[in-house]
Amino acid sequence: MPSADVVVIGAGLSGLSAGIALAEAGASVFVAAKGMAATHWSHGALDIAAPPRAENAREGLRWLSADERHPYHRLAGDVEAALALLSGQVAAAGLPYEGGLDTPFASVVTPIGGVRPVSVAPSAQLAALQPWGSDEGLLLVDFERFRDAWAAYAARNAAGVTWQATRPARIRGLSVELPTLDRVHNLSSLDLARFFDDPGWRARALEAIRIALPRTGRWRIGLPAVLGIEAHADVLRDAQRSLGHPLFEVPGLPPSVPGLRLFEALRSRLLGAGARFQFGFPVVEVERDGRRVVAMHTESASRTLRLVADRFVLASGGIAGGGLRGERDGTLRDSVLGLALTGPARAAWFDDDFLATKHPIEAAGFTVDDELRPLAADGSPAFENVHVVGSALGGMHYLAERCGDGVAIASAARAARCAIGPSAAVRGAA
Amino acid sequence: MTFRDVEPGAVVPFTTDNCIKCNVCNTVCPVARVTDLFPGPKYVGPQAQRFRWDGPPDHSVDLCSGCGICTRACPANVLIAETNNRARAAIVEEHGSSLRNRIISDTDLLARFGVPLAPLVNFGLRNRFLRWIGEKTLGVHRRGPLRPYARRSFGSWWRRRGGTRIVDAPPERTVVYFHGCAVNGFEPDVGRAAVEVLERNGLSVIVPEQECCGLPFISNGMYDHARQKARRNIRSLADYARRGYRIVGTSTSCTHALKAEYREMLDLDDADARAVADGTWDICELLSEMHDRGALDTAFGPMPGPLPYHPPCQLKSHGIGTPAMDLFALIPGMIAIDSDHDCCGAAGTYGLKAERWQIAHDVGAPLFEKFRRSGATQAACDSETCRWQIEDSSGVRTRHPVEILADAYRAGTSLDSLDAHASPTSSDSPASLASLASPDASVAGQSTNEPLI
Repeated sequence: MPSADVVVIGAGLSGLSAGIALAEAGASVFVAAKGMAATHWSHGALDIAAPPRAENAREGLRWLSADERHPYHRLAGDVEAALALLSGQVAAAGLPYEGGLDTPFASVVTPIGGVRPVSVAPSAQLAALQPWGSDEGLLLVDFERFRDAWAAYAARNAAGVTWQATRPARIRGLSVELPTLDRVHNLSSLDLARFFDDPGWRARALEAIRIALPRTGRWRIGLPAVLGIEAHADVLRDAQRSLGHPLFEVPGLPPSVPGLRLFEALRSRLLGAGARFQFGFPVVEVERDGRRVVAMHTESASRTLRLVADRFVLASGGIAGGGLRGERDGTLRDSVLGLALTGPARAAWFDDDFLATKHPIEAAGFTVDDELRPLAADGSPAFENVHVVGSALGGMHYLAERCGDGVAIASAARAARCAIGPSAAVRGAA
Repeated sequence: MTFRDVEPGAVVPFTTDNCIKCNVCNTVCPVARVTDLFPGPKYVGPQAQRFRWDGPPDHSVDLCSGCGICTRACPANVLIAETNNRARAAIVEEHGSSLRNRIISDTDLLARFGVPLAPLVNFGLRNRFLRWIGEKTLGVHRRGPLRPYARRSFGSWWRRRGGTRIVDAPPERTVVYFHGCAVNGFEPDVGRAAVEVLERNGLSVIVPEQECCGLPFISNGMYDHARQKARRNIRSLADYARRGYRIVGTSTSCTHALKAEYREMLDLDDADARAVADGTWDICELLSEMHDRGALDTAFGPMPGPLPYHPPCQLKSHGIGTPAMDLFALIPGMIAIDSDHDCCGAAGTYGLKAERWQIAHDVGAPLFEKFRRSGATQAACDSETCRWQIEDSSGVRTRHPVEILADAYRAGTSLDSLDAHASPTSSDSPASLASLASPDASVAGQSTNEPLI
């Protein structure tokens, strides 16, 4: 049975970040996830804090942290260091990100032609953040037979929405026939990305795109986010060289290739730091001794796997990730510890306005103390050696506030610091 | 058909209702990674399943190798690989099975002829012309990973040595060894190493009546044949399990069949089947658990150098971590390196088939390359067909972890005798082998997950 200094439950951005920080600080770490997902659904840029009308993440952070229920009330001061840490990690894995708290938000086009505010993004998305020149057009490209990107539709929508600061002089959609795809009977972003990894196919595909481009005018090109996985850096460089215009990736439907790259970068850092990682099995039992968790059991083919640790980091996700569950009786519980959580009454779970505003259920989650330990009804820590990170934390509206990634990395950094604090070190040595 | 009409054991395909269409399974599928012939687990699994209740299932599902990574990656708890396996069984039920699949699945029958006729059969297996004939007539790929039959089966060795040596041990000091068909017919050395390591730790070993676990039949969709094997194994093992004996296997594939597949695929979910599932252990899982209790003899001798290790897909489906890595860390000087590769491609009989061999080879290619470039003289892996696939394709001798442990015990024993005869000065020398083998040296053993290259 594996024993470790720290067991991390969950392998999204917060779980992986916490695992890396802990392992690099010398702790023995076991990351146990019930599956993969959070990163594979993400657009690959980082949402730090972009509530409506904020000009940069620092301003957004200040506004959000004013609400004492918001995770940023405790964590705002940790965000900048956590972002620097993460940027270093992904850069070391060959996936550099740029941008920071003071980078002004730019409107970046979405696959259906909306815009979202972005200030921190991987190299492949950076060109979208530059101010638009007065004669510069946006050319959205899709590929024949690829059903997850519709450039003409997105272009029409994007022309009708409000852009922050500058906007493209004109927006156009372009459909390109890429080589050999007519022989492929099933085409996802993943398949395309793997095709682009192949240098020979890539050269022919880029040539096909190049000759389809408008002959005149100044353009910036938005391509579906499929520019390679393993050879992504090479694909991006080749595309920039051969197309003759600035270009950026437009993240689309799952599976998100930019998210997959982020996951792989972090996973490789985690394993490189000596952590163990198992996915496929949820926590089914928690052994406790008073206010301490002694061990967590994950499901296995028969019996359970007993994971013993001094500290536990709960990166089990929110509603979408399966970390929080709504019961029929109207209670909200976390799916690992089974604690009742703060959240809206059942009648408010079914708001008609699903995504556009602050849905009440989004704010459901753990209430925690400064060490991110879950609080019991009386306000004292329900567990002394459990730290909650990421979207399992209550009090935020990560869609409207665009704060999920910032909360994930800041809480991961805080939890790692608390878990390897003096008390844990003493126990580890004993 | 509604959920209420479904037999209790047949809930597997209903888990596809949980699918949220996120495509995560497609990102991890090793087969879809290398061939466009397989549309990916999402399409042949949850997407196709809703059309399967009344009509015949589509046939592309037959390209699934059954590695199970999709099931583990799914965030919505859909039993994707299990659903696909059942879909294949439905195809087989409707259209029958090829002669080839019936032959390669019936490992017990093959061993009945193969072992007594080993010199003859092995000549055929080694002869390139006959293998070519075999590919053209039967559809068994000429380069498919096969092993020569042993001159003497494990069962025969066991009987000749007199069977159980530590007699009258209580259940908690006894293990029931499920050697499986591969150890019996092809790799009796693995079984001998297992017995040696278990007895070294004071455990009495019982070898009961047993047959092939039936996994080759399950993988090829022949559930009726598999059920016959499974029922006979359960009958033989259940009584031991209920009396508290642990059933230990050296193949993570067989033990996974006993633990999970009898229930999930074959719908064998009675009290006996449950007792067997709950009482079954992979040998490294057991030894690692013993180490946690301080009950494992850790007097391993030094085996300096890298040991590339590939945890098979079936092991990962156990959900028991990687116990072999934990054990390798106890061997002084050994640097075990996790392959960090999803699948070797063999997937039991999948890599033997003429029309699948290339896919299987492409799936494992990065792994073979890593092992080749590691510079190691041997590697380790817990499942037989994976071992053969890796060894044939990488050229690196690949053994079961328990064989490595047996070697490490022998290295420790020979050092002990060296130590006893050594002059007083030599044991003071820090460079002496004896000092490497001191109890403190076990901390020198280390393992790493770092990529090989």
